[in-house]
Amino acid sequence: MAWLDSHLLTATVFLPFVWSLAGLLIPSGTEGGKTSLKIWALLGSLLTLAISVLIYQRYIPAGPEFQLTETVAWLPVFGISYSLGMDGLSLWLIMLTTFLMPIAILGSFNAVEQRLKEYYFLLLSLETGMIGAFVATDLFLFYVFWEAMLIPMYFLIGIWGGKERIYATMKFFLYTMVGSLLMLVAIFYLAYQHKVQFGTYSMQVLDLYKLTLGGGTFSSPQSVMFLAFALAFSIKVPLFPLHTWLPDAHVQAPTAGSVILAAILLKMGGYGFMRFAFPLFPEGVAYYQLTFMVLGTIAIVYGAWVAMVQPDIKKLVAYSSVSHMGYVILGLFSLNAVAATGAYYQMLNHGISTGALFLLVGMIYERRHTREISHFGGISRVMPLFAVAFLIITLSSVALPGTNGFIGEFLILLGSWKANPVLTAIAALGVIFGAVYMLWMFQRVMFGPVTHKENEGLKDLSAREIAVLVPLIIAVFAMGIFPNFFFQKLEPSIERFLARSIPGGAAVTQVVDPVTSSVQLVMKGN
Amino acid sequence: MESLTTIRPELLTLSSEQFSALMPYFWVFGATVLAILAAVMRSLSPKWPVITVVLTGLVGAIVSVAGLLGKEPVALFNGMMVSDNYTHFFSLIFLISGVVTVFASIRYLDNEAMQHPEYYLLVLFSALGMMLMASSLNLIVIFIALELMSLAVYILVGYRRTDRRSNEAAVKYFVLGSGASAVLLYGAALLYGSTGSIGIRGILDFVRANPAALSPTFTLGAWLVIIGFLFKVAAVPFHMWMPDVYEGAPTPVTGFMATGLKAAAFAAFLRVFVSTGYGAGLTTAIQTHLHDILWMSAVLTMLFGNLVALTQTNLKRMLAYSSIAHTGYLLVGMIAGPHSEQGYAPLMTYLVAYAVMNLGAFVVLSILATRDDGGLNLHDFSGLSRRHPWLAFAMAVFLFSLAGIPPTAGFAAKYILFYSAVQANEILLVVISVLCSAISVYYYLRVLVYMYMRDPVGTQTRSPVSVWSAIAVAAMVAATLQIGVMPARVVYAAKKAITSI
Repeated sequence: MAWLDSHLLTATVFLPFVWSLAGLLIPSGTEGGKTSLKIWALLGSLLTLAISVLIYQRYIPAGPEFQLTETVAWLPVFGISYSLGMDGLSLWLIMLTTFLMPIAILGSFNAVEQRLKEYYFLLLSLETGMIGAFVATDLFLFYVFWEAMLIPMYFLIGIWGGKERIYATMKFFLYTMVGSLLMLVAIFYLAYQHKVQFGTYSMQVLDLYKLTLGGGTFSSPQSVMFLAFALAFSIKVPLFPLHTWLPDAHVQAPTAGSVILAAILLKMGGYGFMRFAFPLFPEGVAYYQLTFMVLGTIAIVYGAWVAMVQPDIKKLVAYSSVSHMGYVILGLFSLNAVAATGAYYQMLNHGISTGALFLLVGMIYERRHTREISHFGGISRVMPLFAVAFLIITLSSVALPGTNGFIGEFLILLGSWKANPVLTAIAALGVIFGAVYMLWMFQRVMFGPVTHKENEGLKDLSAREIAVLVPLIIAVFAMGIFPNFFFQKLEPSIERFLARSIPGGAAVTQVVDPVTSSVQLVMKGN
Repeated sequence: MESLTTIRPELLTLSSEQFSALMPYFWVFGATVLAILAAVMRSLSPKWPVITVVLTGLVGAIVSVAGLLGKEPVALFNGMMVSDNYTHFFSLIFLISGVVTVFASIRYLDNEAMQHPEYYLLVLFSALGMMLMASSLNLIVIFIALELMSLAVYILVGYRRTDRRSNEAAVKYFVLGSGASAVLLYGAALLYGSTGSIGIRGILDFVRANPAALSPTFTLGAWLVIIGFLFKVAAVPFHMWMPDVYEGAPTPVTGFMATGLKAAAFAAFLRVFVSTGYGAGLTTAIQTHLHDILWMSAVLTMLFGNLVALTQTNLKRMLAYSSIAHTGYLLVGMIAGPHSEQGYAPLMTYLVAYAVMNLGAFVVLSILATRDDGGLNLHDFSGLSRRHPWLAFAMAVFLFSLAGIPPTAGFAAKYILFYSAVQANEILLVVISVLCSAISVYYYLRVLVYMYMRDPVGTQTRSPVSVWSAIAVAAMVAATLQIGVMPARVVYAAKKAITSI
């Protein structure tokens, strides 16, 4: 246990990978072998969840910035080290990852029947990549995890995906790769600047925060490098107009792939903005603030409009992601505590509700082998439990008060009002559109008479499916009713994030005004 | 080098350090001679005696090189050659790629019904030439070594003598290669004429002593030497020979050429470059001139290699163009070398990574090649992951590495290379390079699409995998991942090697 205490993050990161390597030894030829593979993968993800709860316990919000740190020299001549550490920003995203992974695995027990061994191996290695990216405090290490993550996802979409899977997976890979390579050049420049300014090589993010770089003009280092980082992260988020890979990838991916992609990989972009792009280049952020707020608002409205007319449920959910992640961008670029907290919360919400939506779509697809809205109707009569679960998640997605979605969107709009009322007003329309497309879809699928014969004999949720959905539904309400529980461990990190991201750094103290204090009420939970 | 007219007896004897410094060459040469004898004795079982001798020679040489690592540089043959860490570093690359090539060839030659012992001899000869190239300090010796290496490879390229493509490749390579050697030789002659020295250190001394008075003859000579080297490394615009030669040569030979030959050409190129003072000692005008030549060549090489590779459907040909692209990345390292802190160490690290992953990929191709080097088109790879799960996995590792995706050697090496180019303030060049490597991702991944995401077409049989090839592939996979995760050791070794010049 002593080893585990001092290497908690390493253990969490690599446990799934090592576990999945061991899983390769299980013979998968027989039915029994297949079942034991599934159980093995589920156990691995549950164990990771258990360890990550330890991380939650150990993290002290009032403590130093990065906690549970580990550092080992890796390539000292270039200042590269294996450095892990976590703060509030990492914490909830790690928890989200480890929480969703068992659900995604359990959710694909029936969906995937071919090449099981590779499938679970890739899913668990993906988990290693994702957690690694959330806890890396060395820019090189972050980049390694960031890129390595693409490999399992590439195969997951490409092998177990739908008809257009190859096109989708190539597009996904190439989009992400092009974006991140330009970020790589910026990383080199940053790391070299550290050498120039301080005389030593370092890629530690805390060291790089201290750099002084020129900003304010189009061609100044901060603006250029911010753009390079922002390109990588915006593609991942994905921000309009770089979102076109997302509908393809989401629709073609197998259910678990869609869940992970939507719930966690997209968050990688938001996390990247918060951990790297903003604090490293405050003046770059200031320079591009309006541009990105406008793009975020366009994403909200455009995503909602396009979602409205989709005939395919999965595609509708995919476009709803574009819309929801637009809020995240709007909130982050508002540069105040309320909006930033809301944006972070919205990332978690989106992970829960969109993950759940993809699982639900997957369940109905397994029964009917179609996702066309017009092939359904009156499903609530034949599958009442399914309808209830679907309703709850739908309401969470449209941000009904009492569900998690409400807190996030409310805080974002509250905060962005202060930064830009006009865009906020437009974005608020997005909330209405969001309700329209989700509820309209729900109505067409669930209510009315059963119009298709095939739908009459559909079975309601099985015990396994209920087990998949119940934790998500609990999370929807828990996050909607007790946001304070989450904010507690988040606040200091958000404050540090803002202090670095606003040029001059006088961020946190100046935000005390009527609007903020009302949010303080929300945040403190009184 | 002083006057050649007086013979000094002490130069004709070998001290014990010199003798041990020559041991690797003795091993390889001795094995060559023995293998010739064994090859003549046709009454014996045809292949194993020769293979045993050849492998013993290569392994013996590897062991004796390993024993020399870290020792003080030893001048050999009146300063015409030197045995330093730089030599050893490259010798290890050549010898290991020789061993891997032999391993990959055993089954391949059986399959082609061409199991002649001479084949292994030629591999050994060209390995010897490569080792000499990395150690020579004299343009004449470089030329001789180059010819020793190239002549053996010309024959190897045309080894499938009943095949038109192989013949075409051999003739093309021979004619163009000889032309390039002639250009190099002519350049060397002009340099000798204008500086009075044929040793590269002597040339540097002359240039340092008379920075202002460089004659047009010198410039022309330098140009010609550089062109000769650019031809050998297959940089644009001197790359025309390469795709056809790579495609026509027997697959294991292609692998050997792509790694050993390229590394040897870079070894000599780099040594001439470093020793003639690129980066230090030359006037700024010459520096800028050299820089611009290399810069243009690097950009064109990367763009051309990657763009043309996109359209290839034959894997050998695709890897040939990708090899051109990698030459471009290596030239980036060459440009950045003198102005960055780690010097040429990143370039040499990249060479190692490139050798490992490329050799691995070619061994896999050698295993899968059907009679007459067929079966290497993209559609032949459909569903490979079902027929050969392990081979497909290995190929995936190599392709990810070639594309530069972590956690593989290709990524670590590329990262270090481009990072040092940023240190040398070559930001535009690095941006171009990373965009080119983004292009390359597409064609590498397309192979994976066929291997993993498509169903097999028609009735494809499983090709038999020999133990030797399997060992070679496994070792290369391990090395690719090892360098990818722990690049520090290779970087240090490269650093030691380059500082020993």
